[in-house]
Amino acid sequence: MKPLPFDKCSNNLDLQTGLNHQEALEVLQAVTSDGGGVSFTALELLQKEAELKSIVTFSSQLDAALGGGVPVGKTTEVCGVPGIGKTQLCLQLAVDVQIPECFGGVGGQALFIDTEGSFTVQRLVDLAAAAVRHCSLLVEDDEQRDAMTMFTVETILSNLFLVRCRDYVELLAEVHLLPDFLSQHPNIRLLVIDSVAFPFRLLFDELSQRTRLLNGLMTTRVQQGGQSQLVPALGDSWGHAATLRLLLQWAGSQRMATLFKSSCHMDTTVQYQITSDGFRDTDQSEQPQSKRPRIQTDQSASSQRDGS
Amino acid sequence: MDWDQLDLHPRVKAAVRRAQISSISSVLVLSSPVLQTRTGLSCSDVQQLLIVAAAACRGTPPIQAVLLKTGPGPRLSLGCPVLDRLLRGGLHSGGISELSGQSGAGKTQLGLQLCLSVQYPEEYGGLGSGAVFISTEDSFPVRRLQQLISEQPCLRSDVPPSVISSLKFSDNIYIEHTADLVSLQTCVSRRVPLLLSRGLVRFLVVDSVAALFRSEFEASDWLERNKQLLTLSSCLHHLSHEFNIPVLCINQVTDVFNDSEHTLGPLRSSVSPALGLAWSNQVMVRLMMRRLQGTVAREDQSSTLRRLEVVFAPHVASGGCDAAVWREGVCGVHDGK
Repeated sequence: MKPLPFDKCSNNLDLQTGLNHQEALEVLQAVTSDGGGVSFTALELLQKEAELKSIVTFSSQLDAALGGGVPVGKTTEVCGVPGIGKTQLCLQLAVDVQIPECFGGVGGQALFIDTEGSFTVQRLVDLAAAAVRHCSLLVEDDEQRDAMTMFTVETILSNLFLVRCRDYVELLAEVHLLPDFLSQHPNIRLLVIDSVAFPFRLLFDELSQRTRLLNGLMTTRVQQGGQSQLVPALGDSWGHAATLRLLLQWAGSQRMATLFKSSCHMDTTVQYQITSDGFRDTDQSEQPQSKRPRIQTDQSASSQRDGS
Repeated sequence: MDWDQLDLHPRVKAAVRRAQISSISSVLVLSSPVLQTRTGLSCSDVQQLLIVAAAACRGTPPIQAVLLKTGPGPRLSLGCPVLDRLLRGGLHSGGISELSGQSGAGKTQLGLQLCLSVQYPEEYGGLGSGAVFISTEDSFPVRRLQQLISEQPCLRSDVPPSVISSLKFSDNIYIEHTADLVSLQTCVSRRVPLLLSRGLVRFLVVDSVAALFRSEFEASDWLERNKQLLTLSSCLHHLSHEFNIPVLCINQVTDVFNDSEHTLGPLRSSVSPALGLAWSNQVMVRLMMRRLQGTVAREDQSSTLRRLEVVFAPHVASGGCDAAVWREGVCGVHDGK
């Protein structure tokens, strides 16, 4: 948390932040009261973070750049031009979050908020079938064999919750109801919004209202999960919201993923491709070879687990 | 929906009325401190109000993906097995599909063909209903349509002739000519919903979106142009999802002059679809048609070779196949032939 202006009177804060008087008072109250939150030491936070896992993307290069995958408990923004593969990455993550824990996965459920209408079950079945096929090749012990009986296309589809929001009012309504929904489904580890920008595009001329709404959206956001979005649309005030920003772009005929905002990783650019099986590395087009990087991420995931 | 129908304490309802907040959705737009000052309610009351209002505004609660139809869903066949295979069964219902290409590439031909194909019963790849064809560029090619109708038995050899002869193709195509944006807007927001809600049509073609936007705006009016473009596209989205119909927008192309634009897509040709990024963001499936150099001949006919490409789609791999325009319509050309 940034050092806060204790000495500022609320009127001053009003002017500086553009909040109204009541909101400014609430900020000051929250800051000055001791009951605002329990404080942690950095060591405790580190241990806490080590317990949180990452969701693999099935692209070992991107996983490496992200330090194991898309982190649970942080907000990730994915942006890029139409057709670059944002929705594909979202679908891939929604499947990958369900990989059982004995395979180094997270073993959770996912909530997919679709605002564009681009969610297709047909494509999801493709990705799910590929993930199941992939994991079944990795089975080594009985525990994993048992887990595989519960990791089928059918269960993947039943562990993915889908909401369709047609405009920003519905999206805001959904966000207001999220805390309830998440407490009813404690296994949800991933929240995807595909995309944030779409419902807000029509508010083009009401810029101040848009900014307000987006800020509201972020302050009410839940602790776990990743969010996704288009081009760095929505401007700077949104840019502060995400912990990680991932930019997907074309370089000639090559798809590139660039990590350009992150507090704990270097800025990196990696290549990837979209195959019929989903989001993958570029250099391995054949099925058997694609096993190799996953084993490595498994090991890194399990070593992470041992360490904690 | 009115405040009276919500499950709220009468005291809260009275406070909301006193604050002159008329619609339920406007509550969600306000933050809770603002609501507290405007209504004079306590923090917990406002929370309750927000949750009840949100529940009233939400469309459908989250459902498990397994409960959705796992099949490919209703698809609109293109009337040619080769082209259908490229699109995994045909045009997707729900969402805007775009077909762009240079003039003479065969865009309108494919649009006409789909207007006929939609009228077949579902077992033959249609949706069993009519189509609306909104023409903004040229006059509607009536004679070509008549020719296509008379050649249907030749194109659709998979359908029994009795089925084809029982369909009155030209009675089920509603043609709209719109010469300016205002009339296009009224057509899409008033007349088309009426036809859709009566079940008379289940397919909409706009040929083309680019023409009006390109002719009506100066370069300096880009803000207004963007706004109009988004209004149109959100209207089309709404129709497409509300009635679960495929929407095909035919688009022109623009030349790519320098390297700066190749970041929008892998550089395959010297042209890219018109209307820029603002429009691209609204499109779910982008198809492109190109004229190639060669010609193909068949019996007494010959046709310039075309290529239909999938630029992007959430469920189809990008790829393409060669096609030709014959007397009976657009058909895919098998590789190696």
